[in-house]
Amino acid sequence: MNAMFEPFTDVVPSFFGTLAQGPLTLTIFLHTVIVLPMIWIYKQEKARLEQEGN
Amino acid sequence: MANSYLKSESKKLATWYFTVAAILFGAQLLFGLVAAAQYVIPGFLFELLDFSVSRMLHINALVVWMVFAMFGSVYWLLPDETGIETVGIGMGKLLFWIFTAAVTVVVLVYLFIQVGPADETTIWFINEGREYIEAPRWADLGITVVALGFVANLFMTGMKGNRSGIVTVLMADMIAFAGLYLTGMFYTDNISIDQFWWWWVIHLWVEATWEVFVGSIAAYGLITMIGAHRKVVEMWLWIEVTMLFGSGILGLGHHYFWIGTPEYWWEIGALFSALEPLPLVAMFIHVLYDWGKMQGEEDAKGQAISVITNKPAFTWFVLNAFGNFLGAGIWGFFHTLPQVNLYTHGTQFTSAHGHLAFFGAYATILVGMMYMAVQGKNGIKILNNTRSTIFATSMIVGGVVGMTVALTIAGYSDVIISRAQMGATWAGYFDAQATTWLTQGMIWRLLMGVITFVGFLFLAKDLLTTGKSANHVR
Amino acid sequence: MAKRSVWSDNRFWQRTAAWITGFASVLLIWLTFDTSAQISMGTDADIQNGVTKRVPAPTVINYKVTYEFNKKRQHEIPVIGGMNAEGTSAFQEKEKFFGRDDWSEAEAAELLRLGKLGSQAKNCMNCHTLLGNGAYYAPDLTKAWLDPAWGPNGSMQAMTGKSTKEEAMAEFLQHPSQYPTHARMMPNLGITAEEAKGLVAFLKHMASIDSNGFPRNFGKMQGAVNGK
Repeated sequence: MNAMFEPFTDVVPSFFGTLAQGPLTLTIFLHTVIVLPMIWIYKQEKARLEQEGN
Repeated sequence: MANSYLKSESKKLATWYFTVAAILFGAQLLFGLVAAAQYVIPGFLFELLDFSVSRMLHINALVVWMVFAMFGSVYWLLPDETGIETVGIGMGKLLFWIFTAAVTVVVLVYLFIQVGPADETTIWFINEGREYIEAPRWADLGITVVALGFVANLFMTGMKGNRSGIVTVLMADMIAFAGLYLTGMFYTDNISIDQFWWWWVIHLWVEATWEVFVGSIAAYGLITMIGAHRKVVEMWLWIEVTMLFGSGILGLGHHYFWIGTPEYWWEIGALFSALEPLPLVAMFIHVLYDWGKMQGEEDAKGQAISVITNKPAFTWFVLNAFGNFLGAGIWGFFHTLPQVNLYTHGTQFTSAHGHLAFFGAYATILVGMMYMAVQGKNGIKILNNTRSTIFATSMIVGGVVGMTVALTIAGYSDVIISRAQMGATWAGYFDAQATTWLTQGMIWRLLMGVITFVGFLFLAKDLLTTGKSANHVR
Repeated sequence: MAKRSVWSDNRFWQRTAAWITGFASVLLIWLTFDTSAQISMGTDADIQNGVTKRVPAPTVINYKVTYEFNKKRQHEIPVIGGMNAEGTSAFQEKEKFFGRDDWSEAEAAELLRLGKLGSQAKNCMNCHTLLGNGAYYAPDLTKAWLDPAWGPNGSMQAMTGKSTKEEAMAEFLQHPSQYPTHARMMPNLGITAEEAKGLVAFLKHMASIDSNGFPRNFGKMQGAVNGK
């Protein structure tokens, strides 16, 4: 019962259902993969701005 | 349409779209009044114009007038943004007449035929019986052709003329808007699949593409009405697109809690849609910030004059910024989490949110665009408020807010008694309907609806006559 | 001259907007494939083999359907043909539907199709809610099939002079304004006997869809308004 990884509770097992381990795991995962690449875009744009002059 | 100052054919077409939109807005309110009266007087027009019909006309007129006004807004701003006349304006005008004729036929069929036998002919020719997109399939196909023609005009103009950030966003947004409509046209025996795709249209319209449209229009309004700097406005627009689509696309999940779809939608829908108010806060801050900034620059020159060149339109734009946040943001967030939505889903609470959100997010800014057209058409430099403007604005806003409060209070009965206590049965439903909160709430809603309608009459009068008023700077 | 911040750069936000919109759309499409597979309608073979589907086969009308609290899911689920040891559908116990419990897959599908088309043609959704979606002028129909009002102890069978749930529902649907339950009545929508049968099949099928526990406590509490 107190296992870290819960057995699948929904009707049909699926990838997204497996990621849903508690009330927030799936949604935090999706938010993270959506937002993280912004770091890469940020770095590229910063390099561009620096190159453009000042 | 005589003695117009308009040189651009695109802007002339825009005024046509706005005219039909305003008429349909009136029809929406009128059928809304019938539906509201039926809650208070149950036998009103029974088996003549039943609630199902009045309510269908109420929400369809709503969707269609907004689409008309959105098309109008794009035709209005295109020449200003691209610096050229809209490409394919002849086709645009033809499509306008086709669209108007189709809508007229659909409304007449709704009114006089109402329901059909349980077979495909009803789906093709009378109505599809799917809330908001009831239009029969022949009209669906027609609307698709009209929408694609509109998108084609927008793309051709955007590619030929100067493609500003606003036009770029509109191009991407409008093609999604038109494409999404296609997902709501097919028939299936499986009601879960039916509602799954139905929400693709409804949600991805009103909580994604329409919101981005509003962001673009607000950006255009800030540049034209208070002279805000394009670079700043467009940066905000991109931030808004990021946040609106970032939260709104997967926020679709909050409609997938209870329709047979997997449980994982609980958390996707909950947290993405919980973030949906953020861009609306951003838009509100952005509008007020730019206004203060531009007025401050003006004041610094030592001139005590307003930077606003169109007072009524700007009022409606500011109402939009706040109403969008309040109606879509706050009232939406109230019941977007699954643990709350389990009880509020499909109650008067939803209705309260629907009223304030559609009004705050869309009706406001589109009425603002109508005032922009009045200004342009009459060659007015600074459009001021008239007494009718003040009456119209305050009565419509007061009426809609009053309806929302009344429905929210009625919603508490629905949620607590029908859902939480009685478990949503037939008997439980009517137990809730008989409570004081609900019955009185419905009376207040009707009264506030009447106020809204009177406000609309002032609005119609003002839109028709203010152009001739001596109140303005020409 | 101070360096320009990336945070106030239009190109940065334009690219961010494009990335986030594109990726969220891709995720939504992936999720749509996943969900579509899970909510596709089951077949009679699924029922025979004891396979639980979120949206069961139309032949579910041959079985007894109830709505029971499930410990594992922590909410109520539709239970078809009696409950097994795990608290889910056993697909055993049959129930006559208009006098028969041997509706073939084709017959049941045809009936469901008639009912689903009827639900749209008669515009049910602009007064009622289906799976909670629609208008709020009339009761939610998600689990209407399981409503105690239509059961043996409810008032509707006596009112319509019928002895089974499905016949009472079908009679009501054909002549709703003859059987008023409240001042707010359902109008006559010209529903034929055959269409009414289809609509009742549609309602029974909808009640057997796994709606993740919505509505909560359906039909569990009776006669306890305002704490009385």
